[in-house]
Amino acid sequence: MMTSKMWVTMGPQHPFSHGLWTLKVKIDGEVITDAIPIIGYLHRGWEKECENRTYPQIIPMADRLCYSASMTWSHVYVMAVEEALGIEVPERAQYLRVVADEICRIQSHLMWLAAMGTDLGNLTVFLWSLREREMFLDLFVKLCGQRLTTNYPRIGGVRNDMPYLFERDCMRVVDLFEKRLWDIIALMDDSAIFLSRMQGVGRISRKEAANMGLTGPGMRGCGVNFDVRRDDPYEVYDLLDFEVPVHKDGDAYARYAVRIEEMFQSCEIIRQAMAQMPDGPVRIKVPRNVPAGSHFARIEDPRGEALMHLISDGTDKPYRLKVRSPIFVNVSGAKRMVLGTRMADVPAIMGTIDMCLGETDR
Amino acid sequence: MSFSDWVNISDPLANPNSPYGVTENIPYSVGSGLWEIIGGILAWIINMIVPGNRLSPWLISDAVTNALGLVLMVVVFFAVIFIVNLTMIWIERKVLGRIMDRRATRIGPLGYLQCLADGLKTFLKEHIMPDKADKKGYMWAVSIVIGSAVLIAGMIPLSPRWFLADYGTGLLIVFGIFAVSPFMILVAGWAQNNKYSLIGGMRAAAQMISYEIPMLLVFVSVVLMAGSLNINDIVQFQMDNTWFIIPQFIGFVVFMVAAVAEAERIPFDLPEAEAELVEGWQTEYGGMKWGLIMLSDYFRGYVACALGVIMFLGGWALPFMDELVIPEIVFLLKVILLFFIMVWARGTFGRIRTDQILNIGWKVLLPLAVLNLFIVVLLKMGGVF
Amino acid sequence: MAIKYMDKYPKNVALRGWILKPFLTTFKNMIKTTIHRPVTIMYPYEKEWIPDNYRGRPGLVFEKCVGCGICERMCPTTCIELVEVEDEALGKVKRPQVNVGRCMMCGYCAEYCPVEAMTVTPDYELAGYTREDLIYDPYQLKWENTTIGMEVHLEEHLPSNLAKGVTDKPTAFYEVDRPKLIGEKCISCNRCAKTCPVDAIEMIVVGENAKGKPIKHPKIDDSKCVFCEQCIVICPKDALEINEVL
Repeated sequence: MMTSKMWVTMGPQHPFSHGLWTLKVKIDGEVITDAIPIIGYLHRGWEKECENRTYPQIIPMADRLCYSASMTWSHVYVMAVEEALGIEVPERAQYLRVVADEICRIQSHLMWLAAMGTDLGNLTVFLWSLREREMFLDLFVKLCGQRLTTNYPRIGGVRNDMPYLFERDCMRVVDLFEKRLWDIIALMDDSAIFLSRMQGVGRISRKEAANMGLTGPGMRGCGVNFDVRRDDPYEVYDLLDFEVPVHKDGDAYARYAVRIEEMFQSCEIIRQAMAQMPDGPVRIKVPRNVPAGSHFARIEDPRGEALMHLISDGTDKPYRLKVRSPIFVNVSGAKRMVLGTRMADVPAIMGTIDMCLGETDR
Repeated sequence: MSFSDWVNISDPLANPNSPYGVTENIPYSVGSGLWEIIGGILAWIINMIVPGNRLSPWLISDAVTNALGLVLMVVVFFAVIFIVNLTMIWIERKVLGRIMDRRATRIGPLGYLQCLADGLKTFLKEHIMPDKADKKGYMWAVSIVIGSAVLIAGMIPLSPRWFLADYGTGLLIVFGIFAVSPFMILVAGWAQNNKYSLIGGMRAAAQMISYEIPMLLVFVSVVLMAGSLNINDIVQFQMDNTWFIIPQFIGFVVFMVAAVAEAERIPFDLPEAEAELVEGWQTEYGGMKWGLIMLSDYFRGYVACALGVIMFLGGWALPFMDELVIPEIVFLLKVILLFFIMVWARGTFGRIRTDQILNIGWKVLLPLAVLNLFIVVLLKMGGVF
Repeated sequence: MAIKYMDKYPKNVALRGWILKPFLTTFKNMIKTTIHRPVTIMYPYEKEWIPDNYRGRPGLVFEKCVGCGICERMCPTTCIELVEVEDEALGKVKRPQVNVGRCMMCGYCAEYCPVEAMTVTPDYELAGYTREDLIYDPYQLKWENTTIGMEVHLEEHLPSNLAKGVTDKPTAFYEVDRPKLIGEKCISCNRCAKTCPVDAIEMIVVGENAKGKPIKHPKIDDSKCVFCEQCIVICPKDALEINEVL
């Protein structure tokens, strides 16, 4: 009997693709024999637009790279400019940035967990995760006035100091969150259905991950022990004590477990940073023109390694600003991950990539 | 002649044409009583306009009262089931809302009228059909899906005095018609000319056929134990002896899992898995057609729960208090209890995969159902029942 | 190194809770939200509390504004435009007009405002029927209950101060940066004095040229100047330049 194979286009407007991207899969019955990820539906010319903005004006634009990692993206941009200016940021500002980064990491991972829940058909996980995420967004509102587009880091520091009682709120939220996260984990790790969906699918080996240049939880889920925060410390991460979660399996479940553990570690980092935070200024005055040169800065984004390469020409506008998006690289592993799995596995596997098209297409 | 000569409510059991003979049947009584009021008023009015005509006595004759009373009885019976279904939808939305820590329905007292508002909204939507769809298959599939669902819902008696037909083959016919809709889902998936629908239809057919078998084995063991296919006899047997959930607990679990799969609910809602197949086999259905499909889902859920109650939970009977309670209410409360468990499972679990669902069906549920059958045969041979 | 939270679970997957624990967890939450209320905020009827420094649309305190145009220059989306309005008390003045449809709510206009006239407001319900509705003129920009919390202060520390160990004197660029005159380029055209929004520039006679006419150079009053750079932009011979203090 002749079996015919069929191309199914999943996306760009499809419930599984969180954002505008397409995964064309060739299915034989339900088994996937070929896959092509297609991106580029959300190209906005971000890098070109930056060439017409002065340096401070790019900070709120960098927030718009990714809706759930706005703080880390503006942070990496600011770090690149500070690298070019050669200035030292006040210590308190560095701690504040670390705290904001970790809040951002937790809320981004919660957004991912929520999306993961809908991908697997469990709406309870979706709503519970978003409920916890609200607390961290409220912290952002208190700290810098907006929920998502934080616009918090500035060249030479941060926008403002901690508001009144922020430290108390932060500790309360972190404590409550750690308690409530166990409820969500009970729905995932304790559920045989969830485990059977996640374990053993979307497997990618350590070597393949390294060759493709995967970063972030996708790479640590394959057993590569690398984290920019620990191995190339920026800000004050070298003064903080935290662990980098690594899982050997390399399947969808490993990536899930790494992200969950990262949330616990981020809570720990927030506690330590709040305890160690020194007094002092939070922002220094910087010159408006950046000397000519080529500099880059990298940071551990919630999704992987974010890098910005800045080429300045001595004016108050950048000559070129290149963004290295972690998802742009991670999505290249999509084909390798879904080959041989079933069509029902596609959301489960692609959910663990944690797509964000704003930064991918720029 | 005066008004009271035309409108007089007689005992429906005295009607010589009644198909139910001397058996008490509340919907029939209500139906024929309603017609005696409506038809009597009509006959009175007609007689006032044209005195001494032959139409007026005909309208309130025994034969016409019986025929139109039966029509009204069906309407009454369906209205009750429909309200029960609306309540079940309301319960599902409320319980899911509380589980997920969110507000659920809003319109009406306690949000009860939200379903009606949604129904009105879907009813007002435009009729859209894909250009290259198979028109006949597209429309007939949804008609038969909703039609078979309503038909089996009408076949379930709520009590010995609240039924449409009391027939010997009982459960067999219910299960037979329960198995019709998977084929129509396959037709619907094919007719929409859409890859997602096709895959969804295939999944539906595979899943439902493989879950039909453990379900039927459980059904066989229940029938074997009760010694009858008739629903009344099965419930009467349980009232005389014990509820079947005690000797056949395995059978109950197998039946509930299979029933969730048959009703296409999470965690077995693969045919409409929204994450990978946009809306599964319903992708191209819109407006009221989609609304009817949703309604048929709930009717099938109602039927599955009602069968579970009849087969395992003693139907409309409560132990030690046979005379105190209204049997219809007891039956519906038990149905809603089972439905609550299905909703609870929906709020707790995700969706499972195609191969896993078939594995569970063939490798777990089927052996368990056979084991259950063995237990029943042993009990029967041992003379326990 | 390893996944720490998994220590609570047995290594063997078969020994985990299977389906009981999820059932109990959801039931617990259902009871909890039935007794108390769900966390949902029914938006149009009830609203979340938001702090004063919430960055909604920009607001303007009309009387404080000097029309310097720093907000216009700082705006990343160029949604602010200085327009001339005829005010009853102040006469003909220049005030910012904001196209809220383009505004990205970054709060830069409030942050860089030298006189704290621009503020952030907690107004986030900005829908309008036409695009013209979204262009807020200076009077529409006013916010009734402007509080001090809505002002965003720019508190920068000079690196030179920090090097000296002075950490309690925050300042801002408009307090320290001043335009610097390159005397030989100046042609005494007087334009900088005319354009200065705060009248900080006074033309002072510094000498006579060959034809016997007086040479006038601008003299900048440091206490009045807000460093809006308008004089630098308008100078036809680039005689004024930015003098940054670090």
